Amino acid sequence: MSVVTLQLGQCGNQVAHQLFHVVCSDAQNAHKKTYRAESCERFFHQNTHGELVARAVLVDMEPKVINHSLSEAARSGRWRYGESSHFSQKQGSGNNWANGYCVHGPRHRDVVEELVRREVERCDRLAGLVAMMSVAGGTGSGVGAYVTQCLRDIYPTSFIINHLTWPYGTGEVIVQNYNSVLTLAHLYQLSDAILVHENDTVHRICSQLLNIKHISFSDVNRVIAHQLGSVLQPALTTDSHGVYSRNPLGELVSALACHPEYKLLSMCTIPQMPSSSIAYSTFSWPALLKHLRQMLISNTKMEEGIDWQVRPPGGSGRSMGLTGGSFNTSLANLLILRGKDVYSAETGGFEDPALYTSWLSSKEAFNSWKSPVPFNKYEKSATLVSNSQALLRPLDDMVGKAWNMFASRAYIHQYTKYGISEEDFLDSFTSLEQVLSSYRHLC
Amino acid sequence: MQRTKASVSVEVKQVIGALCRLLAAVGVDSVPAPESFRRAKFGGGAEEDQFWQLLSSILQKAGVVPSEAGSQLGGEHRKWVAAGLWQTGYHADWMYESEGGDAEGGRSLSSRDLLLALGWLLASGTLEKLLTQRVQQLDKTLLTSVPVNLHLSNEFQSDSASLRRLQWLTGCLRHQGRILLSMLQERTRLLHAVFSANLSSTASSSSSQSSTVLKEDCSCIRQLCDLLEAYLNWTQVEKVFWTWMDSVVDCHLTGPVVKRPTHTPSGNLRVCHHGTWGLEKLEDMLLRLPTAQECNTHTSIRTQVSVFIASILYSLSSQEGQRRGRGDVKDREGGEKGQAGLDASFLPPFISSLPSVPALSQVCRARLRVEKPVRHRSCTAEDVHSGAEAPCELPVSQAAEMLLHAETLLLERRDRQRQANRTQLQEMIGRQDLLVLIPP
Repeated sequence: MSVVTLQLGQCGNQVAHQLFHVVCSDAQNAHKKTYRAESCERFFHQNTHGELVARAVLVDMEPKVINHSLSEAARSGRWRYGESSHFSQKQGSGNNWANGYCVHGPRHRDVVEELVRREVERCDRLAGLVAMMSVAGGTGSGVGAYVTQCLRDIYPTSFIINHLTWPYGTGEVIVQNYNSVLTLAHLYQLSDAILVHENDTVHRICSQLLNIKHISFSDVNRVIAHQLGSVLQPALTTDSHGVYSRNPLGELVSALACHPEYKLLSMCTIPQMPSSSIAYSTFSWPALLKHLRQMLISNTKMEEGIDWQVRPPGGSGRSMGLTGGSFNTSLANLLILRGKDVYSAETGGFEDPALYTSWLSSKEAFNSWKSPVPFNKYEKSATLVSNSQALLRPLDDMVGKAWNMFASRAYIHQYTKYGISEEDFLDSFTSLEQVLSSYRHLC
Repeated sequence: MQRTKASVSVEVKQVIGALCRLLAAVGVDSVPAPESFRRAKFGGGAEEDQFWQLLSSILQKAGVVPSEAGSQLGGEHRKWVAAGLWQTGYHADWMYESEGGDAEGGRSLSSRDLLLALGWLLASGTLEKLLTQRVQQLDKTLLTSVPVNLHLSNEFQSDSASLRRLQWLTGCLRHQGRILLSMLQERTRLLHAVFSANLSSTASSSSSQSSTVLKEDCSCIRQLCDLLEAYLNWTQVEKVFWTWMDSVVDCHLTGPVVKRPTHTPSGNLRVCHHGTWGLEKLEDMLLRLPTAQECNTHTSIRTQVSVFIASILYSLSSQEGQRRGRGDVKDREGGEKGQAGLDASFLPPFISSLPSVPALSQVCRARLRVEKPVRHRSCTAEDVHSGAEAPCELPVSQAAEMLLHAETLLLERRDRQRQANRTQLQEMIGRQDLLVLIPP
């Protein structure tokens, strides 16, 4: 039961590299043999020398990041990338989605498909594909969307999940909102679920929880990888009957994204702290879960600054917190608990029907996975993957900014020259407005 | 022309061969050869036993008739088969005939009747039932369907919340299906690996126990594949079979009596019997005259209507409708005059409320024992006994005149009814227009 990862573009390659690093070190530090074996089978295969080789395909239009990843992985001595499971070019996509989607994607389609096919054929059983990319740039977003489309054609019944990194709101790239809108609109049709990390949120976690002074991309990526790893590492699910789930992606999607209009998943993990402090901290499940629950309903992505005033709506309407934060309605939640005494953890707080929409019972909307093995050095940790209104505001901002630029036709010629017409833009706007409206009226 | 006919017959033979293979694959015993089907179409006597066996085997497999009914060809056994057919909704004359009829020679049963009964069984989905049973036997990993809790449908409201919930549940099911599919793929892969490993190390008798299980599993899967392949082959050519079956029905209609000529009436005593029979045919024909036409008009209107309100008005597909329509004709031919010609379950209420014609046909009945009554369908052209002399005979010309008159009357009546039906249908369409149809 294996997961094949696609690393697309600079961001995708860096985050995925970090994910393999986290997963591998977590598995090797774990004392439970079955956990270790299961985790290794999920993410790695063994080559003839007995080395762990990541089940990954690396794609970028520039060689720099891929070369760096390959050598870094080999240097770790724990795992490596496959000798020929990467593809790069000399010329990047220039942060232009259209260039990636209309030019680079189709041009290198065969090579990339062949690489993926080889990885898939190495799996005894394919649990699914995870494509990791950012939405702001050109290669990750444009080529990524194109490759996802090709994968959907080749593997129509496999689970395909996209992990997207959303750019800083202040902007890394001038056309990032165009790229984001086009990527999201395309992926929404193709992907089974879209896992989202916002750079802004993760940045705040780095500065406030991890106390990092000069935050680099690798710090941000490490946090993302930690959260992702805690979801993707082996766990006991309701369907797995006492053994580690053989179908992580399928069960994730079944638990969270069964409705075609609601595919955006956000994540938060507790606790997160500098590794030096972990040894001096004690955790209790009730406290962790109480915090996590309040983080969910007040839509706070980290332990600090939780608005404790927000309450689930009673009989009438939705209640507002004193600070003006409103209640975050969930469609579905998946709680993943890892660590000591995990079976004693009481998750009843998440089964409150008031947290969910009226049309889905909390029994269907809430799922929990458990693993007695501590994850990534934390004695106890809880991750919540949530299909809720949490991403409504950032998505709305993104679409709003893109629309303002589009209204003045700014930079549009950069896209039309590669074959993305204004009509295509309008289609993308329309479909995202539909998504926004669906989430807005979730109650 | 000859060649096409020949190629058609070859094709039919192949198609029937496909059916036979499928029947054998679902576990039905004593399946006749394709050639027997052809002979049975013409009422061959030798095939009768084979078809009794076949029907009884199918009915037993399908659980309609208890298997204790046995397979010996006694009268008792035939009663079981007839009862089984009756249970599946098939009705024919011969089923009501007493055994004594045999001796008297009035028996109208031929192998064609049994062939038609077989056609009925196939059309009513018995084959699919048998197939499902067999697949469940062979594939032990299949989950038998869990009884669905139907209370949901009662409280179901078509508001947007329920719709969303339904979409969610559908999506959930779809995902579960994909998970199962990938499990199946893994299983196949592993089985293949084990199988090929077994082949390479043939002399490993130590693991005999596990390998027997595997072998059984393997042979089951092979049978399953054969079965599904047979079904696939059948479904691809099924259409040809039904066309052929139509020709069997036609054959049945045009030459209803195969064994009758053997009891040629020799005197006036017999005349009465045959005369009555001819009269019944005629009356039946007259009965059919308006209804058959009504039926046609009705069908053509229905196709138009079905464009708008297909799923709501009738659940019948037009093909089935035709097939059943034919069966209907056949049934009436068989002499079920109790119904006013048309199956009420098949028709919407306004068609079955036709004014009945018997009064008119009664008028004609007394006088029409003559050759060549006005015929509207060639298929009823059978030999009305010309040698039969009856006291209430009329001159031919007069009879023809009367018949023509009757025809005009009936045609008028038909036109009126057609008009009425059309207005009614239009009203109904008007009402249905207000409904919002949600595509499946």
